[in-house]
Amino acid sequence: MLLFPVWGSILFCLLTGFLPVVGMEPAGGARSGSEPTPDPDPDPLLSPSASNCSQLTLKLEFSTKVVEHEYIVAFTGYFSARARSHYISSAIRNTRDQDLEWHIVPRENPASDFPSDFELVHIRQASPSSLLTLEDHPYIKRVTPQRKVFRTLKYFPCKFALRGTQSWQSSRPFRRTSLSLGSGFWHATGRHSSRRLLRAIPRQVAQILQADVLWQMGHTGSGVKVAVFDTGLSEKHPHFKNVKERTNWTNEKTLDDGLGHGTFVAGVIASMRECQGFAPDSELHIFRVFTNNQVSYTSWFLDAFNYAILKKIDVLNLSIGGPDFMDHPFVDKVWELTANRVIMVSAIGNDGPLYGTLNNPADQMDVIGVGGIDFEDNIARFSSRGMTTWELPGGYGRVKPDIVTYGSGVRGSGMKEGCRSLSGTSVASPVVAGAVTLLASTVLNRELVNPASMKQALIASARRLPGVNMFEQGHGKLDLIRAYQILNSYRPQASLSPSYIDLTECPYMWPYCSQPIYYGGMPTIVNVTILNGMGVTGRIVDKPIWQPYLPQNGDHIDVAVSYSPVLWPWAGYLAVSISVAKKAASWEGIAQGHVMVTVASPAENDSEVGGELTSTVKLPIKVKIVPTPPRSKRVLWDQYHNLRYPPGYFPRDNLRMKNDPLDWNGDHIHTNFRDMYQHLRSMGYFVEVLGAPITCFDASQYGAFTNTRTECGERRRPDITLSMFLVKAQQWWMPDTGGANVPALNDLISVWGMAFGDGLYEGDFTLADHDMYYASGCSIARFPEDGIVIAKNLKDQGLEVLKQETAVVEGVPILGLYQTPSEGGGRIALYGDSNCIDDSHRQKDCFWLLDALLQYTSYSMTPPSLSHSHSRVAPPAGTDRLLPQRLEGNHLYRYSKVLEAHLGDPKPRPLPACPHLSWAKPQPVNETAPSNLWKHQKLLSVDLDKVALPNVRAYRPQVRPLSPGESGAWDIPGGIMPGHYNQEVGQTIPVFAFLGAMVVLSFFVVQLTKAKNKPKRRKPRVKRPTYLQQQQQTTMGKNPTV
Amino acid sequence: MINSRFVHSSFILLLESQRFESIKRVGLPITSHDILYLWILQEERTIRDRTLLEVRDSDHRIPWKVRFNLGNSSRQIIQCRNSIQGKTLLTDELGYVCERKDLLVNGCCNVNVPSTRQYICKSCLANGCCSIYEYCVSCCLQPDKQPLLEHFLNRAAEGFQNLFTAVEDHFELCLAKCRTSSQSVQHENTYRNPQAKYCYGESPPELLPV
Repeated sequence: MLLFPVWGSILFCLLTGFLPVVGMEPAGGARSGSEPTPDPDPDPLLSPSASNCSQLTLKLEFSTKVVEHEYIVAFTGYFSARARSHYISSAIRNTRDQDLEWHIVPRENPASDFPSDFELVHIRQASPSSLLTLEDHPYIKRVTPQRKVFRTLKYFPCKFALRGTQSWQSSRPFRRTSLSLGSGFWHATGRHSSRRLLRAIPRQVAQILQADVLWQMGHTGSGVKVAVFDTGLSEKHPHFKNVKERTNWTNEKTLDDGLGHGTFVAGVIASMRECQGFAPDSELHIFRVFTNNQVSYTSWFLDAFNYAILKKIDVLNLSIGGPDFMDHPFVDKVWELTANRVIMVSAIGNDGPLYGTLNNPADQMDVIGVGGIDFEDNIARFSSRGMTTWELPGGYGRVKPDIVTYGSGVRGSGMKEGCRSLSGTSVASPVVAGAVTLLASTVLNRELVNPASMKQALIASARRLPGVNMFEQGHGKLDLIRAYQILNSYRPQASLSPSYIDLTECPYMWPYCSQPIYYGGMPTIVNVTILNGMGVTGRIVDKPIWQPYLPQNGDHIDVAVSYSPVLWPWAGYLAVSISVAKKAASWEGIAQGHVMVTVASPAENDSEVGGELTSTVKLPIKVKIVPTPPRSKRVLWDQYHNLRYPPGYFPRDNLRMKNDPLDWNGDHIHTNFRDMYQHLRSMGYFVEVLGAPITCFDASQYGAFTNTRTECGERRRPDITLSMFLVKAQQWWMPDTGGANVPALNDLISVWGMAFGDGLYEGDFTLADHDMYYASGCSIARFPEDGIVIAKNLKDQGLEVLKQETAVVEGVPILGLYQTPSEGGGRIALYGDSNCIDDSHRQKDCFWLLDALLQYTSYSMTPPSLSHSHSRVAPPAGTDRLLPQRLEGNHLYRYSKVLEAHLGDPKPRPLPACPHLSWAKPQPVNETAPSNLWKHQKLLSVDLDKVALPNVRAYRPQVRPLSPGESGAWDIPGGIMPGHYNQEVGQTIPVFAFLGAMVVLSFFVVQLTKAKNKPKRRKPRVKRPTYLQQQQQTTMGKNPTV
Repeated sequence: MINSRFVHSSFILLLESQRFESIKRVGLPITSHDILYLWILQEERTIRDRTLLEVRDSDHRIPWKVRFNLGNSSRQIIQCRNSIQGKTLLTDELGYVCERKDLLVNGCCNVNVPSTRQYICKSCLANGCCSIYEYCVSCCLQPDKQPLLEHFLNRAAEGFQNLFTAVEDHFELCLAKCRTSSQSVQHENTYRNPQAKYCYGESPPELLPV
């Protein structure tokens, strides 16, 4: 359980805020800051060619000041312009101040024809007392000075920014008492478009999502049992009216919440006052599964889950998560819950913005995994993302999260009373759980509500966020009202997630859209999830059919499909592998077609025994084909030989990262090596992934083969294995191998007379004018004498770890370049540390070196800065030292794909057969795909246009600027603040008087109970609640500079 | 050079979170051994915690109230509860196991199908642990299992109080008892016996060596 804030540097942004209004509380901390980011977000949309400069710093400035003689007169209701003018003149007459000169400031905008609840009035020489008398008028609510807001956005190229920082703005409501303005606040972000700058934020998340529309229709969650698995809840909390039961599953003898997390989560779901939840009348079941120290174990969860099944819980919120999807007892139990019709909603994790950070159980197909956004519809930085990693290395990950919703600065119940703000995906999760509870209560035939149909309704209704890929936003942002419409016209059916495959659509289908396919490349795999609302179990009838569209070159691709033999519980996978046909080897263009799948489930309500429900779904496919690139441009990434946690415990490459010692991000070019991938793409390389043994590819087709896990850590002396784990009693748990499997790598490179040594080094150095950091890397122990070897002075980290002594070793060989002597022979480059291209915990990148090495291996161009470096040394013969051996008694063979246990030493396994895709027999059709695949893929039998809209109260209009890509039919009742028009900003955008101090949304990942990251079999599973402690003002962290 | 304050403060946080005041070593940099030590302590604590879930003293009995409907399975039943979750099999409350396709609209298994069997202990071992959940439930519903179940209830640990005091009848008891639970795991993330993990009997699954 390591508690660890993320350290980052802080950047103060300019902010000025005047608050000259008499009788108001002074502003709170007027502060703005930037978010520490070790990993800048190289948004492919923002910076398509961002090779060296993938970071932008956004600087936001604003100020407000009172406009002289102008006042906002707010009314108690909505009145026509004439009536407003009449009320004001009669009110001014009542002041008996005859000197008052006044006129109404005209607002010329389309909204002026409609009734309004405020007026902007120019009054000369108004005394405070006369203003107060104005408020005596029965229809005038209040009079406030007009203020003007100045706002500018500035982008700074990365060289002006602090290294590794990207600013991230956030604000929180000003503490104001005399103005209702305080309850709304302005956000500003420059991430996508300045049009998104302005938005009124009503204070209640339930109202933002229009829950009050459903409340007015009489739906409040009654009759739905919702379980909160968290830190408990106090008995007499004033916010809750229907707490059915509280149970404790921890070793602490209390049912109360000593932390506030569980209360907050329960409040978002079901609070009935102050900060309202979604379903105040739902039946709350509180399961206390976390201690006040945030400790929890799988076994507590198992017993509590069993009780939830017995109690026939309908909706269960799990604001927890961890990397261990190999925790079979837990994963099986979650399946068991959904199989018993419990709708599971879980937080996707707070490990963003790094890719490959999805948490279990939110990454399961049967669970609704929820990511977080802020109130400007940006994906929250902390929200975990990237594909699932269960399927690696042979397959490709699924799309998660399923949906996103507000998870940043959301208000919910305080521990004893009142409200507070929290951020984190564990805040977003109860927003969805509450919405799901409310939705379930609107359905007359509850039989139709099950984990699959609910998820289908949520994802079919979600609103896609522009400029964000599907591995960050899933299907988009929760839309409660549309989900209500879909759910109430739902008929049991199967659907797909994603519902179409358009490999040309950027950025939504990133990374697929970032690299076209070509003949001879590794097949592109898209892992589609089948959701089956017809029953807990289902099967695919016959085989999926591939139907290429002849008019659209569908015959230029080959498609192979593999799928779950049984769809249970409620879901299964459909993996589509796409390859280019030989006849298109030098063709360039777009090819389209579709795959048809029929799903069948036993009919439960059919009087005929053995009856089945069936549902046929179509999966459109669209790909871009290019001619096969030359060999020198093709790089092959070895995924097959990566070992990782789970299941084994393999220490991270950088041993300094003790708070996150396990390597769990998948080591894939689309997870934690994403920056490297984007860099290589921007340099024109085509990167493919090898998910099979090395014998399964044709090396003559590739310019480079990358096995990046070249790290040390394998020690012969058990005392310095950094044996971080032990377990039961006297048994030591030791790393099964180093971060890189050095002995295996040595086996591979020994034919060229090369080997890595057993030293473990770290330190800063300069190479070819680049600052470098060697993070727990190893040295080259043996190298051919005609090769180029670069050596640097580094610290012996092994010694430091062992004895806390610092010793600098001179001339540690770290880089080697070698040309094999044979005619047309290949070239080999070795570098002892991959941390500099890994996104997780990277300190200094070395993409320049990667470029140089690829130039060398592909084109035989040796950078002079390396070949003529002062650091060049004679290649080590390495005969004097023993090379690293595996630790005695290690269990690598259990996790390795190439070793197997024998009596005595593990021996290489016989290589498995290379995977063979059986290409589907095409059934060509003379069809043409619609131009927009996405819009055509919604749930069958649900036509949103025809579904009746709920009767929304019309007299509380809300104006809110549209985001790009969003349809106009959007209306948020409630929470409207009076304001005025600011002509500078836009004709249709009302600017409400702005008061605000930007506050650092102190992105405090309190990495609670990090012991979750524990080794397989050895450590108890410890769940951690996925929330961030928001707005803690201790933001002066910094990156560990090395 | 790594910031020593960084390392140090993380260590303190870690210690405080764990309340391992006794080994707070202010002023020294954290080492791998410190981490190791913390984990050792925590592991020990876990093992201690776990014992709380097992029977401690015979005085404390959970107030269970299960109604066993001994031998009256011949009673006319219009609507059956069943085990709901199965991938291919289901067990109804009369103890019949059938395939999903052989389930009647009223939730009962179609007894006229030859593959439907009552009180079947297929895949169950002598210690009362089975590899298939539905067979475990069916086996547990055998009337002669009542004494065994009562004995278990009388000795059930405090940790199971919530669950087993809420159980109302024989069928619910068997559904709940056969599920994997805290008794089914070792090291929190591995089954004691992945082959036979559903137990109607008193003892946890036999511990298989890793």
